Amino acid sequence: MERLLAVRCPGLIEEDESGGVLRAFDRVVAAVEASCPWVTVVRTGICTLPIRGPARYFGGEHAVVDLVTAAAVEAVEAAAEAVEGGSSVEAVEVGIAEGTFAAVLAARTGTIVEPGGTTAFLAPFPLAVLGERDLADVLARLGITTLGAFAALPERHVLGRFGATGVACHAVATGRSGNLPGLADPGAGRRLHALRHPPPPPDRQPGFWGGASEADARAAQVLTRVQGLLGPDGVLTARLQGGRSPAERARDVPWSARSRAGRSGGTGSQPPWPGAIPPPAPLLVHRDRPAAELVGLDGTAVAVSGRGVLSGEPARLSVAGGPWERIAAWAGPWPTEERWWTRGHRRTARLQVVTAGTARLLVVERGSWQVEATYG
Amino acid sequence: MFDSVAPGRVPGRVPGRTAAPASTTPGGRRDPSALAALDDLARRIRPTAASGTRLLPVHPALAPLLPEPGLRRGSAITVTAAPGLEGTLAVAMALVATASTGGSWCAVVGIADLGAVAVDGIGVDLERLAIVPRPGPHWAEAVAELVDGVDVVVVHPPFAPRPAAARRLVARARERQSVLVIVPGRAGWPEPPDVRLTVESSHWEGIERGAGHLRRRRLLVTGGGRRAAGRMRRCELWLPGEDAGPGVAGVAGVAGVAGVAGVAGVAGTSGASEPA
Repeated sequence: MERLLAVRCPGLIEEDESGGVLRAFDRVVAAVEASCPWVTVVRTGICTLPIRGPARYFGGEHAVVDLVTAAAVEAVEAAAEAVEGGSSVEAVEVGIAEGTFAAVLAARTGTIVEPGGTTAFLAPFPLAVLGERDLADVLARLGITTLGAFAALPERHVLGRFGATGVACHAVATGRSGNLPGLADPGAGRRLHALRHPPPPPDRQPGFWGGASEADARAAQVLTRVQGLLGPDGVLTARLQGGRSPAERARDVPWSARSRAGRSGGTGSQPPWPGAIPPPAPLLVHRDRPAAELVGLDGTAVAVSGRGVLSGEPARLSVAGGPWERIAAWAGPWPTEERWWTRGHRRTARLQVVTAGTARLLVVERGSWQVEATYG
Repeated sequence: MFDSVAPGRVPGRVPGRTAAPASTTPGGRRDPSALAALDDLARRIRPTAASGTRLLPVHPALAPLLPEPGLRRGSAITVTAAPGLEGTLAVAMALVATASTGGSWCAVVGIADLGAVAVDGIGVDLERLAIVPRPGPHWAEAVAELVDGVDVVVVHPPFAPRPAAARRLVARARERQSVLVIVPGRAGWPEPPDVRLTVESSHWEGIERGAGHLRRRRLLVTGGGRRAAGRMRRCELWLPGEDAGPGVAGVAGVAGVAGVAGVAGVAGTSGASEPA
């Protein structure tokens, strides 16, 4: 089970009608997210995050606990005036254990449970922490009052006596599962999200009159963040332009909030470009073209003559030294002379080749075949 | 939960195991009338989930494959193919196309060689398409960010996804009400999706042994999934169709009738020609 850090704000567990508690909790989540990605909202007032990565990054679990506690406390204090009922709101509990249930319990008790020690940590807790009173009552009559004693029962007995809910609680008690039924409230995350992104007023037409829409603004925000993660070249937009080969006809540029992608030449259909391969275009245009071998029935390499004629019927294809694939159909060649206006001009030809599952566009230059594109 | 935990730092007012107080009596058992009150409260503090925006529009040729006539916000869809077949990326892009022309932002993560001409041909609006070609080990983080502000994220994980990471991404997409379209690599996708589309067969037309050229491809696609999506659906599509993106080749029982094919142009978006 995944090792989790849980943050629990006891004063923010009961949502109020005005939404003040939810807003306060949202500030806590945002404050925690600022240093650790992957925050999961378990329910209002409780969130968790996987500790492994942040612990490595910040130099240990204690460092993360300190950091998260400080961030959460600050957020709670800042939000305190917005919530009725004052000081009890300000407490923040943080703990670490394996699985959601144990992590929340660890937060409750302010504990960092040693790796692998979750089952032992859970054992002394009273059954009431499972929140199933009927189960606890029956077990108490059997003399079983702690999670540890419950965990020691064989699972088949639990199933026979307490059904699926009992088994789920048993799995939690034995430390095999962290998902106590009823612990998580999947709606809480959605309500928080709704809080952060209120819908645009209905009378406003997004993007109408050429203005940037709400959607554009939100997208711009996250794309900027992804560029922060991967670098400017990490997020691209494509522009279409004239050209003969699939690679020439599209240009990728780093995304920027101010640039606009799309076609450089109006929104109509693409003009036919002399020597272009007829549509449809291939979905994958390979930057690093794999080498290919193309042979006829007798196993000799297939070539294209200077006059654009195939030396023989292609029968089999091997890509990047891979297994031979039988060729079901082919078309072409389409000969081209690229950069014919320079001395370094190249004479190439293209061939569409279909094998059992795949259609490819091959290009040959000086007798060597490469896979230029795949129709995907 | 946790009422009877002794040493908590916070005094008394901890509710039962369901957080919202109205729904729980001190012992942690539910009170039906309180639950109703809670539902009512939830409705009032959740202004967005307006019914009209739950579904993003989808091309009519693909709608028969889905449990609802659109892409449900917050859902995860996988697109896979029978062994040795292509077509998954084309189906994924076709799923996105109509939402894209309708104003939704889309992102494609992990496809280094994406051919923009074909994507345009399928009908995706390149003006609202972000391409994250080589996210490397940061792919999951990138997707987690993207679902926060992009309506549909198509992801081809460059590495075998760890189950915990996959689960978190699906949960985050659900939370942020974005649609995750997963085109798994060889390692597959460890989380059961809401909707599962599978390319069962693929046949290119227009090309022979030394004549013609690739014109259009007939794909047999099945759709299934969890709960309401569980019923298996089948559909034949032209993808790419001639002169446009996707088209209807036949639906369910009609399958196998090449004549139905003529509907190709249904795409109707501003697309030029290609696809794949």
